[in-house]
Amino acid sequence: MSDLPKKTFVVTRFDPDQDEAPRTERYEVPCHPDWKVLDALNYIKDEIDGTLSHRWSCRMAVCGSCGMQVNGEPSLTCKQPVSELPDTVEVAPLANFPVIRDLVVELEGFLEKLKQVKPWIIRAKEKAVEEGTHSQSPAEHAEFKQFSMCINCMLCYAACPVVANEPEFLGPAAIALGHRYSTDSRDEGAAERNEIFRGEGTVFSCSYANECSEVCPKHVDPAAAVNQAKFNAVIDWATGLVLPRGGRE
Amino acid sequence: MSVVETLQHDVLIVGGGAAGLRAAIAAVEADPEASVALVSKVYPMRSHTVSAEGGAAAVARDDDTLEMHGFDTVKGSDFLGDQDVIQYFVEQAPRELTRLEHWGCPWSRNEDGTVATRAFGGMTTKRTWYAADKVGFHMLHSLFQHSLRFDRIVRYDEQFVTRLLVDEGQVRGVAALDVREGVVRCIRGRSVVLCTGGGGKIFPFTTNGNIKTGDGMALAYRIGVPLKDMEFVQYHPTGLPGTGILITEATRGEGGHVKNVDGERFLVTRDYGVGSKAELGPRDMISRAIVQEIEAGRGVDGAYGEHAHLDLTHLGEEKIDSRLPMVRELCKIYAGVDPVYEPIPIRPVVHYMMGGVDVDIEGATLVSGLFAAGETACVSLNGANRLGSNSLTECLVFGARSGEAAVAFARGSNDGAAQRIDEQAAAEQARIDALRGRKRGGEKLATLRNEMQGAMERGCGVYREAASMQQTCREIAELQARFAEVSLEDTSRVFNTEVVAALELANMLDVAETVANAAARRNESRGAHTRRDATARDDVNFLHHSLCYRDDAGPRLETKPVTLGRWEPEERKY
Amino acid sequence: MARPAHPEAMAPAKPGRTRTAPPHRPPKFPMQGRYRAYTLFDATGAVYLLMGFGVLHAVRTLGDGEVAWQALLSGWAAPLYVAFHLLALVSVLFVGVRFFRLFPKAQPPRIGPAKPPPGPVILGMLYAVWIGVTALFVGILSGGIFG
Repeated sequence: MSDLPKKTFVVTRFDPDQDEAPRTERYEVPCHPDWKVLDALNYIKDEIDGTLSHRWSCRMAVCGSCGMQVNGEPSLTCKQPVSELPDTVEVAPLANFPVIRDLVVELEGFLEKLKQVKPWIIRAKEKAVEEGTHSQSPAEHAEFKQFSMCINCMLCYAACPVVANEPEFLGPAAIALGHRYSTDSRDEGAAERNEIFRGEGTVFSCSYANECSEVCPKHVDPAAAVNQAKFNAVIDWATGLVLPRGGRE
Repeated sequence: MSVVETLQHDVLIVGGGAAGLRAAIAAVEADPEASVALVSKVYPMRSHTVSAEGGAAAVARDDDTLEMHGFDTVKGSDFLGDQDVIQYFVEQAPRELTRLEHWGCPWSRNEDGTVATRAFGGMTTKRTWYAADKVGFHMLHSLFQHSLRFDRIVRYDEQFVTRLLVDEGQVRGVAALDVREGVVRCIRGRSVVLCTGGGGKIFPFTTNGNIKTGDGMALAYRIGVPLKDMEFVQYHPTGLPGTGILITEATRGEGGHVKNVDGERFLVTRDYGVGSKAELGPRDMISRAIVQEIEAGRGVDGAYGEHAHLDLTHLGEEKIDSRLPMVRELCKIYAGVDPVYEPIPIRPVVHYMMGGVDVDIEGATLVSGLFAAGETACVSLNGANRLGSNSLTECLVFGARSGEAAVAFARGSNDGAAQRIDEQAAAEQARIDALRGRKRGGEKLATLRNEMQGAMERGCGVYREAASMQQTCREIAELQARFAEVSLEDTSRVFNTEVVAALELANMLDVAETVANAAARRNESRGAHTRRDATARDDVNFLHHSLCYRDDAGPRLETKPVTLGRWEPEERKY
Repeated sequence: MARPAHPEAMAPAKPGRTRTAPPHRPPKFPMQGRYRAYTLFDATGAVYLLMGFGVLHAVRTLGDGEVAWQALLSGWAAPLYVAFHLLALVSVLFVGVRFFRLFPKAQPPRIGPAKPPPGPVILGMLYAVWIGVTALFVGILSGGIFG
């Protein structure tokens, strides 16, 4: 361990019982060439400072727990190689979120937004199990597949300049997941979600930064979802003026 | 003694993965009045179900029958699976996967719109439903998002259950540490379902995430419920060296080849018991084959020791991108290899625990009101070796069954003496307050954990023998004693992950104790438990489940008969 | 440390039971990294606002007669105004190109039964219309059409 090159990690610390505001601490960490930032954080916790709190689990970029700001960029720390970073690495909690402790942020706000978009299959009549599965072609599946890849890591929320300003904005992941269901051929709830998309958390708050898609580790492209949702919301509103609600599918 | 906040529900589900979410949904659907609490130490979408890759099995095609699925599972279990359980499982499997499809799970499809299936290890035909190679992710998110519809499922996220509260021989609730606030709450319930997953983190090299610390198993163990068949630990043949990240069996299902340093497909050219199934043999056999190849000097050298190769280069980029996209990404990020052009370095890695909390077919334990489902439980569906893609379906089938059983039990039950229950929770608050940041004998948490993992790898690896198993039993017992002297640094109340890690280590030591002791007692080789000093399967003396009971004098081992059925044990050759 | 975000950004409806540190903005916002292009993109709104006032002023001047109109036009030939109009041209091109790039992925997978055309076709159509309309306006304003 001692002959491995060292990097300096400048980590944000915050204990609400002790600290007025977040502060930073510096740690010298000997870094294995294969390490990701998460490995360095775990080394700090295990060997240097057991008081560091951070969330992590799968270490394979699928559970979404370990999102943090690394040198100013929202990053999945289990995926970000240390070798690609300079000798000083700043690790901070995700931007745009209230901070509970050290690198741990408040997620309840996101879960509320997620629930608002009704992220489930809405059907007038539920199919019975005995009737078997719905038929869905590979082409139909492809229409929403990309948007179903969201691991709820919140990097998109941390990158979005609108989230920083507008607390009501539903945000990239929630809109992408709502849109995922609206475009699923088995769902019949698009009209309901379009109303939600035009409501308080309106999708029209999005001002085309595209940062969400730039930082998404799963290539969900939430910017595409948000802008498709805008399109759908407008078409839905316009046809709603012309046709009575019952007249639509 | 301080007073703790008390909450009341009918059914408590501990753990928010596939089994826990399915149990919660089953409970509220079975009883429109029931109040169901889902208590998880992490937000449900972080549960380790999310990392499962390959698929979930259920009979779907015309050339398949329930009987075939049943027999494959029985044989795969090396005849230790309970056949009544397996019968029920194969019947319910298609219903559960269909139900999940109705709830939005994006199964991959055939051109005609039906759900696609792929081949998997030990399965005689294609019956593994899949969602590209991220089936666990899609199942978990579909279940979680569907569960959001139910206001009667009350979630307690980032609440770590540290103790089951028992009164008059019945479970009456749980004491849960609110990780964020640092307070313990008494969550009362008339029944409790443990769905906390397995305990792979007792080993150093595992596919499992950080949270897989056997919490539910330890909770049950401590109130007198035996853990069954703990010696059977599944080594998945193909994990990435170093990180242990899972490379799904689906790579072999789609035609991948396993090779040694000479480029030889040794599963075909040499006799490792898999016959014509070759790479699609059962996991225990393939893991043993790889270990033997390495021991024979035909392993590939690597930075993390010797390994074998998994070759997908002949599949072509298009097939890999459509059926195995996550595998490609994982290999590039975590192994520096593009499987379209190069073979993947792989070696056997701890993946799953066939053993767990002893339950019956309804998920009920011997303690009234306590149930378990999923990897936490041992029903036993998987016997001595699990077939790939059976466990995700298991979570759904037995999650549903236990959820229904738990809510029916709650309906017919009563509450128990409130004060005695609350006192137990208050005692937990005191215990954890004392543990937080305490300075004792100077034992370091990480050191104890590393030593435990080292001991488990030496004694309970793919190949085992009496001396090293006994040694591991002793080492674990020593570590239990040393744990009492652990010193912690973090005195904070808010989001103290060090005290959580300490509590998890205590759970892991209990689980490790049962694995090592049960392994030392089984003088035969069966399924995933392979001994160099007892190489044959012994149906005369060991066709039984092992039961490990907690005892201050050391774990007490007993046995339980296997429920046979239409299939008599035979030689397990493929 | 980065600047504060809105104090309620990503806050839950009911505050959590422990004190939290307030959210901070993305550190590179507004003028570092990719945010710079985004901030400039949004900032071009100021240019359009001024252009809008200019157009209103021009329309009002029309009502004041031929002499006033000619005075306005020759005033606009001054270097400062030319520079402003160049800036406006660059802004419109910048916004147009950035906006058009977004169009293909902003099409929903289908609208009723119809699928939208593929990305390059959409881009081609957008630029064709843009160039066509520009040519038309140049023709009209220069007197080439309706001369």
